[in-house]
Amino acid sequence: MPVDIHYLGIRHHGPGSARHVYAALEALQPEQVLIEGPSDASDLISLLMHAHMQVPVALLSYAVDQPQSSIYYPFTEYSPEYQAILWAHRAHKPVHFIDIPFAIRFAQHQQEALATEEAQEEPAQEEAATSQEEQSVQPQDSVHQDPLLALARLAGYTDGEAWWHDVMEQSQAQQDPLQIFQHLALAMEALREAQGEEDQEDHLREAYMRVEIQKLSKQQTQGCIAVVCGAWHLPALKQKVRLTADKQTLKSLPKKLAASKYKTTWIPWTSPRLAQASGYGAGVQAPQWYQHLWQFRERDPQESSVIWLVHVASLLRDAGHFVSSASVIEAQRLAVSLAALRGRLHVGLSELKSAVLACLCFGDQTLWHSIEEALLMGDQVGEIPADAPLVPLLEDLKRLQKTYRLPPQATTKEYALDLRTDLGLKRSHLLHRLSLLSVPWGHLLDAQSGRGTFREVWQLKWQPEYSVHLVEHLVYGTSIEIAANRKMCAHLQAESQLTPLAQQLHVCLTADLQDALDLGLQKLSECATYTHEGLSLLTSIVPLVDVSRYGSARQLSLAHVDALIARLVIQAGLALPYESRQLNAQEAEHYRQAITQVHQAVNLHFAEQDDVLATWWDALEQMFAGVQTTPLLRGLSARLLYQAQHVTETQVQKSFNQSLSSAIPASEAAAFFEGFFNQAADLLIYDQALAGIVNTWLMQLPEEDFTHCLPLLRRVFSSLDTQERKSLYEQMTRPAGMQLNTHLSLQYLPLWQQQSQQLHAWLEVEKHHG
Amino acid sequence: MTEMLRLPAEQAYQAELEALKQEDTGARPPNWQLSPRAVVTYLMGGKTASGVEISAKYFGDASLIETAVATLATDRALLLLGVPGTAKSWVSEHLSAAICGDSTQVIQCTSGTDENQIRYGWNYAQLLAKGPSLDALVPTPLYRAMQNGTLCRLEELTRMGSDVQDTLITILSEKMLPIPELNQAIYAQRGFNLIATANNRDKGVNELSSALKRRFNVVVLPLPDDRAQEVAIVYQRVQEMGAALDLPVPAQAAAEIEKVVTIFRELRAGETQDANMRLKTPSASLSTAEAISVMVGSLSQAHWFSEGRLSAQEISHNLIGAIVKDPVQDKAVLAEYLETVLKKRSGFEGYYRSLHARL
Repeated sequence: MPVDIHYLGIRHHGPGSARHVYAALEALQPEQVLIEGPSDASDLISLLMHAHMQVPVALLSYAVDQPQSSIYYPFTEYSPEYQAILWAHRAHKPVHFIDIPFAIRFAQHQQEALATEEAQEEPAQEEAATSQEEQSVQPQDSVHQDPLLALARLAGYTDGEAWWHDVMEQSQAQQDPLQIFQHLALAMEALREAQGEEDQEDHLREAYMRVEIQKLSKQQTQGCIAVVCGAWHLPALKQKVRLTADKQTLKSLPKKLAASKYKTTWIPWTSPRLAQASGYGAGVQAPQWYQHLWQFRERDPQESSVIWLVHVASLLRDAGHFVSSASVIEAQRLAVSLAALRGRLHVGLSELKSAVLACLCFGDQTLWHSIEEALLMGDQVGEIPADAPLVPLLEDLKRLQKTYRLPPQATTKEYALDLRTDLGLKRSHLLHRLSLLSVPWGHLLDAQSGRGTFREVWQLKWQPEYSVHLVEHLVYGTSIEIAANRKMCAHLQAESQLTPLAQQLHVCLTADLQDALDLGLQKLSECATYTHEGLSLLTSIVPLVDVSRYGSARQLSLAHVDALIARLVIQAGLALPYESRQLNAQEAEHYRQAITQVHQAVNLHFAEQDDVLATWWDALEQMFAGVQTTPLLRGLSARLLYQAQHVTETQVQKSFNQSLSSAIPASEAAAFFEGFFNQAADLLIYDQALAGIVNTWLMQLPEEDFTHCLPLLRRVFSSLDTQERKSLYEQMTRPAGMQLNTHLSLQYLPLWQQQSQQLHAWLEVEKHHG
Repeated sequence: MTEMLRLPAEQAYQAELEALKQEDTGARPPNWQLSPRAVVTYLMGGKTASGVEISAKYFGDASLIETAVATLATDRALLLLGVPGTAKSWVSEHLSAAICGDSTQVIQCTSGTDENQIRYGWNYAQLLAKGPSLDALVPTPLYRAMQNGTLCRLEELTRMGSDVQDTLITILSEKMLPIPELNQAIYAQRGFNLIATANNRDKGVNELSSALKRRFNVVVLPLPDDRAQEVAIVYQRVQEMGAALDLPVPAQAAAEIEKVVTIFRELRAGETQDANMRLKTPSASLSTAEAISVMVGSLSQAHWFSEGRLSAQEISHNLIGAIVKDPVQDKAVLAEYLETVLKKRSGFEGYYRSLHARL
C-alpha cells in the first residue's frame, strides 16, 4: 500500500515558514523527512546536529581541481530546512536530500564551461571556466528564486516575510498546521500557470526529485513521508508523472562526476553573507530582522516590534546619539498607524524603518545609515566541529604546492623567482597571498632592493600552525585566491586614509588580487574626493605611480590607475598654491619632500606635452609667483621651474633678489635659500649668476644672522662631496671671479674677512670629519 | 473667473477633494474630511473608483507622504524638513487642505515673531474698557485651530527665536494653551495638529531645542532622485515663468536645461552621473528651484542683452552665482569639477570655457 506523502512548501530562510514546518512535522510525525538539497550530501546531514556545530554554516561542495568553482547551501537557525532536520534529529527519523546531486551539477558546469570555451575558441579560456565563481547556480528571474516575494510585490509589499505574515498566517488555523501549506500550493499553482513556460533547469530538477521521492517511498511500508521543498516546486512535485517519463527526461543529464573529482563539507558562514543569493538562489534582505522574527516568534507581534525598536535605540545610543524612551514609544505608535494606513495586519520592517527615521533619527538618513549594517546584517559567524571532513583551503594549498613545485619543508630554503616567467610569477602570487592570510611561509628578502621589479628572493620555512591559520580564514572563502581577495577587501573597506590605501593597492598587485584591486581603486577615488589636504594627495601619488610602473612591467592593463593618478595630480595641483601658504617649518619640510618626490614621479610618468603635467607646472608657477607661499616651498618651486627652463634666468634672479633682500627677515630668506639649493647645491658651481646673488646675500648678512644661518648652510652644502665643495670654495675665493668683480663693495670688506675665516674653519672641521 | 492671483489649495482643487470625499468609505480620524488613505491618494495622484482623475501634487516617494499622514493621524505633530525648493510648504498646504479643508491657518515664523503671534494677543481697547476677559483676547491661527480641532501650519519654524519656539512645547505635549491672565486654558479639540516646515540647509537659524524636536515626527523631503523627472520639472516651470514674464523661450533651451540639471545634480550628489567618480560638493544647496532661477535669469539676460541668444555664456554667469556661495572653498570645488569632469566631456566645451574664464 503506497504511503501518504505530504508536501510542505517553504520560503527559503523564511522564519514564518520554519515555524510552520516544525509544527507540521510535529503533527504529521512522518517516518522520513525528504528535503530539497543535493542527494549526494545526505550523509553530511547528521553532522549538522553535532554538538560543536553552530549556525550559520553552509554546505559546500567544490571541484577538487578548481576550488573556485563551488556551490554553497547556507543554513541558519530560521531556515525551514534546518528546523526540519532538527525535528528529524529529535524524533530519530531519517532525513534525505532529494535534489540533483553535486556530482551531476559539477558535470553540468563543466559541460557549460566547455561549450563557452568552444564558442570563443581562444587559448586563454582557463579564466572563463574558473570565473564561474561560487554563484554557480544559474541566475534565474526573481519569481523562481522567491515566488512568495513575487506575490508580495504584487500586493505592494517590499518584504516577502511581511506578506507571509499578513496573508499566509491570517487564517492562523492552530488546530490544523497543514492548512497553510494547502493554501500555498494553490497560490503556487496559479502563479506557475500565469508564468507559462517551464524553465529547463527546473524541469530537470523536479523530475529528479519526483524519482527520488518514489524511490524512497517504496522502501517504506507504514506511516507517512514529509517533503520539504521550495514553494515554487510544489505543483510540479505533486503532479502525477509516470516514472518512465521522468527517467526519460533525466537521460539528458550528464554523467556524474567521479567522487574523487569533488568534495563536500561544512564551512562556517556569516550572517551578512546570508544576504547574498546563493545555493537555493534566495538571499535574505535583512538577516538580523529575520533572526529577530524567529527569536520572538512566540511573542505578540506588537511586543516583538517594541523589542526591535528598543534594540535600535540602544544601537543609536551606543553610537553616541541621544534617544529618549518617549521617542521609542512614539516610533512604535507611528509604525502601528503606518501599518494601519497601508492596510497591513502587522507592523513590518518597512514601517519600522520609516518610524525609526521619523522619530529616532529626526529624519536624518546618515544617522540611519550609520547603524543600518549592524542592525540588519549583524556579525554572527558560524562554527564547525574540528572533525569535519576536510578543509578546502588546505586542499587548495596542497594542490598549488604540487603544481608550483614548492614542497612544504620545516627547514629554510631559498628561492629566487624570476617574475617574467609564468611559474615564477605564480609562485610569487601564492606567497604574497599566503602572507596576507597570516601564513608567512615565505619571507621576502630585500623587498626594496634596486634590482628591478622582476626578481624576488624568498626564504621558505613551513610551520605546522600555518594550517590552523588557514582554517581560521575559511570564513573568507574556499580557495586561497578568493580568501586573500576577501580579506584584502575587508581591510580596504576599513581604511579611510589616502596614503595607506595607495600602498595597499601595491600589495593587491603583487598578490594579483583583482577584486581587491578594483575595490581599492574605487575606495581610493572616493577617498581622494573627500581629501582636501594637499599633503595626503601628494603622498598617495608616488605609490600609485609605482603601481602603474609595476603593472606596465607585466603588461597589465591599469587604465584606471592612470586615470586616478591624473586626477590626483590635478587635485594636488589645484590645492597646492593655497596649501603652501603659511606653513610652519615642520609642515613645510614634509611638503618639500613630498613635492620633490611627486615632481620626479610625474615627470617620469607623463609625456612631456601632457595636459596633466601642464597643471602640475602651473601649480609650481603659482607657488613661485605667490607672495604668501612659504619661503621654503617658494624656493623649491623656483628651482624646479628653473631647472626645467620654465622660468628665465632673469626671473629667478629677480625673485632671488626679492627674497634675499635685506628687508626680508633672515630666517625667511634662509628658508628660501634652503628650498632652492637643498640637494641642488651643485647649481652654485655651474651657475655663475646664481652664485653671485647668493654671495651678495651672504655678504650683507649681519654677524648674528649669519651665525644663525650656519646650520642651514651646512645642511645645504653637505650634499656636495669633497671635490665639489673644494671647487666651490676655489671659485668663491678666486679674486678674478666675475661675481667678485661685479659685486665687490668696499664697505663689506671687513665683514667678509671675518666671515670667510669662519667659513674656512668650518670647512676644515668638515675635512677632519670626512 | 476669479481676480485672485492664486487660490488656496482647497479651492483650486475643490473638484478633486469633492470626488474623493464622495467615494471615501474608509474610517476617518475625528474631525478629518477624508480617510488617511484618501489623503495619500490626493497627494500622490491616481484615480477614484468612479474614474475621476486625481492629479499628483507630490512627485517622489509615496512612503514619505504615508509617514506624514500617519503622523497626523496620531496626535503627533509633523515637521517637514528639506533644502529650499523641495516642496515642503506645498506639501504642508495640500495636507491641510485635504485633512481639514482649510489650508489658510498659517503662521509665517520670522525672527520678529513673538509669543503674542503664536498664543494670543490683546485687544487693548477692550482690555482697558472691561478688564481682562476672553472677549479682550485676539486669537491667533493656532488658537483657532485648537478651538476648532483643525490643522495649523507653521512656516519656517527655525527662523523664529528659540524662546518663542519653546512656547509650543506645552501645546504639543499637553494639548492645551494656558491663559494665566484669566486663570483659564484653551483645550485643543480632537483633530487639532501642527504641520511645521523648516529648512535644514540654512546656517544661522535657531536650531530646535531637543525638547521641542522630540515632540515632532520628522520627514525629510529629498530632492528629486530621477534626472529625467527633474529636467521635466525645470523645463515646465521655466516655460511657465517665461510666459508670465513675457520672456521667449528659445528652442534649444531644453538641451541647455538638461546640461544645467546635470551639472547641478553631479555637484549636489558628489558624484558623476555614471557614478565612476566622486566629487566634492559646494556649500550651495543647488536645489531644483535654484536650477529654475538660473535658467530664468539666463533667459532674461539672453532676451535683453544678447538678442535672444541663449548659450553657455549667458548661463555660466548665472551658474557661477548659484554654485559659488563661499568665495574660497566653493571656487576650489568648482575648479576641480571643471578640470576633472567637464573638460573632457563632449557637449560641455562651452560651459568649461566660459566658467573657467570667469573663475
